[in-house]
Amino acid sequence: MVLRSVRSIPILVYLGLILIPIWLAVERLMDVTGSSPFSAILSLSDHPLGSEALYFSFIQAILSAILTIAIGLPIAWWLGRHQWKHLNIIRAALTLPFVTPTIVAAMGFLALFKTGGPIDSIGIDLRFESGFIGWLSSTTGIENSGHIIALLLAHAWFNLALVIRFVEPRIATIPPRFEESIRLLPIGRTRLNRARYFWWPMLRTSIGSAFMFTFIFSFTSFALVRWLAPDMWTLEALMAVEGGAAGIPNYRTEASLLVLGGATLQGIILLLALGLAGYWEQKKAVSNDIVSETFARKTAGEPSRVARIGVSLSLIFALAPLISMLLSSVRIRDRTNESYRWSTEAWDIALTGDLTYVSALEALSNSIVYAIACMFVSVLLGYAVASSIHAFESKGKKKTAMAIDLLSMLPLALSGVMVGLGVLLGVLKVWPELFQWYGLPVIPHAMLTTPFVIRILLPTLRSLDSSYDETAAMLGYSNFQRFTKVRIPLMKSSLVVAATLSIAFSLGEFGASWILLRSGSWDTLPILVDQLMARPKYFELVEPVAMATASLLMMVTFVLFVITERFREHQGGGF
Amino acid sequence: MTIEIQSLTLSYGENIILSKCNLHLSEGEILVVLGPSGCGKTTLLRAIAGFVKPDSGTIHLNGKILNELQPEQRNIGMLFQRPVLFPHKDVLGNILFAYRKKKERKMQEVDEIMKDMGIYEMKSQTIETLSGGEAQRVVLARALLTNPELLLLDEPLSSLDLDVRRQLAMEIRTTLKSKSIAAIHVTHDHEEAEIIGDRIIHWNELNLLESE
Repeated sequence: MVLRSVRSIPILVYLGLILIPIWLAVERLMDVTGSSPFSAILSLSDHPLGSEALYFSFIQAILSAILTIAIGLPIAWWLGRHQWKHLNIIRAALTLPFVTPTIVAAMGFLALFKTGGPIDSIGIDLRFESGFIGWLSSTTGIENSGHIIALLLAHAWFNLALVIRFVEPRIATIPPRFEESIRLLPIGRTRLNRARYFWWPMLRTSIGSAFMFTFIFSFTSFALVRWLAPDMWTLEALMAVEGGAAGIPNYRTEASLLVLGGATLQGIILLLALGLAGYWEQKKAVSNDIVSETFARKTAGEPSRVARIGVSLSLIFALAPLISMLLSSVRIRDRTNESYRWSTEAWDIALTGDLTYVSALEALSNSIVYAIACMFVSVLLGYAVASSIHAFESKGKKKTAMAIDLLSMLPLALSGVMVGLGVLLGVLKVWPELFQWYGLPVIPHAMLTTPFVIRILLPTLRSLDSSYDETAAMLGYSNFQRFTKVRIPLMKSSLVVAATLSIAFSLGEFGASWILLRSGSWDTLPILVDQLMARPKYFELVEPVAMATASLLMMVTFVLFVITERFREHQGGGF
Repeated sequence: MTIEIQSLTLSYGENIILSKCNLHLSEGEILVVLGPSGCGKTTLLRAIAGFVKPDSGTIHLNGKILNELQPEQRNIGMLFQRPVLFPHKDVLGNILFAYRKKKERKMQEVDEIMKDMGIYEMKSQTIETLSGGEAQRVVLARALLTNPELLLLDEPLSSLDLDVRRQLAMEIRTTLKSKSIAAIHVTHDHEEAEIIGDRIIHWNELNLLESE
């Protein structure tokens, strides 16, 4: 009984951290609007941009998911079917976009598509939609088609890693004898038939999971929509902008209604999408046997020429925006004669902070402080919750464990903007002094990262053989000594991965920080990049300074990514 | 007297594993419990070790009641079916795990026991390089270094080849006898039971057995 109570404490703290801000925010919005969350959904169409935002959120998320699968599937196929030299480096390069902060991704694509940039120079003007893109817009009648293409490409770039991480290991571990057997049967004599009757049933759950997760991330995308499709509205972007006016009695009730209805609807959509993705994940976990990757690859042999070209192009696609951004920070456009010069002036200005309230270094130190605090909170809390779930499982309380496990995933259905608004409208309602607290961003960052930490640590805890703990107990080690000398060392890789991902996530977090930090001495690097890009560009160095600041953020993230990848190898992959 | 078990009863739901089990073990005696797989032999050892809680009955070890003590407080050693070696330590590191604090380490004793068990040359090897028999020797050496009042052997030889099993069974008996450590060994193998045990009881007798 006592043990059960102790086990419940981290779960209560975790649920309190997640639910209290959201509950308070909903209560406040209900007070202000006099409407329930579900009737607020019906009022979405009353907002001048509500219906448009909902429609565009859906359309762009579905198109992004289709495009991501279309680009990612052949790459996953080639990587999974052949023996590649430096496979780990190729995988790491293709995974890099997924850990890149969204604001950095936005800057990368802006650098790629800007006037005089690499894509513009081959005649494709996605920014101002002249030439071919202009013709496309007028022919199809789709407004802002250049911006929409840019956004879809950026979403595909960002989520490419999901397809590769979900599908490629599956292709690489299906026993070759399965395909060999079907080739000998009448039904498997053509490639099309093999694809239809063998590969599709084998891969559809992995493809489905990747599709749903891409849909979720695209649906809640904010920084990319804000910068690549500035004239288009998604629910997330609209809520972020309208959130500032929400929750104030007798003032712009339509803004409060939009946030209440939009957040409720978005939460429901994300929960359904997560449920579907989780269902497919589970089906994938229980379906047929696997062989080692090396065995399957050896059977498939060396990559073909088409595969080599395809993978090379995908590497260019993965790295081009980042390289382009880095180059844009040192390639300065001279406005007087439209020429370019190479200079590190933008970096000097970024580091000294001449254009902004805080310098890039001060913003970096803020980001690092928040990230480390977030890491401590999320890893400690995540470990405590994961071990509580595992303890309930070990004691045979499967239903309790499953219920807590499901609740622990609830925050995955909350976007950065929703969490930011939750803290803004909820916590600050009962505790306005918190707005003066330097550590405020740690709350939403921890809310967003802890579920990921739990998802990383729980499988490791489940896979830890209980005989290690029992043997240490037999050798006289107390529970605390077993924790420090057995469990922690055995979980080292997962803990490092969880800690680094938590730091990386916090460093790049944009939506919640954008809501809570509006130009001040606590600005983080992503917010600084956003502020710089929002400035008028009459001074030629504004954009390069933003690119330099984003490049700094990219470099820090890259270092963390290398650390994570190094430790992830020992674990044999995974999320 | 080393261990005295009185009326030990343990069940999982409606499945009764131990029913008023009585058992007595003298100082330095090696008792073998012989029974088929899945009958509950491991559960008996896990109850003595403290990993499962009996429904009723008492377990005394050298006069003290174990029932309310945590496994780490019981001063009992245990060898599992599969040798449990910590993957983050090499062979010597695993053996030194017998000491909870660095200052408690007695390196001369460690060297002696490693030589006795024939694993001295392997001390800097990683555990993946060990065979099943070598791994069980390391586990036994580590358990012996804690000077346990009782050693529980949960079919530690079952996964080994026949020759290795016979040899290690004899080595275990010799070592335990030389150190006068009482042990309960559970197995389904008659030959192994004959080699190791001073006394053999069958599982179906155990639950009916009165105090001897």
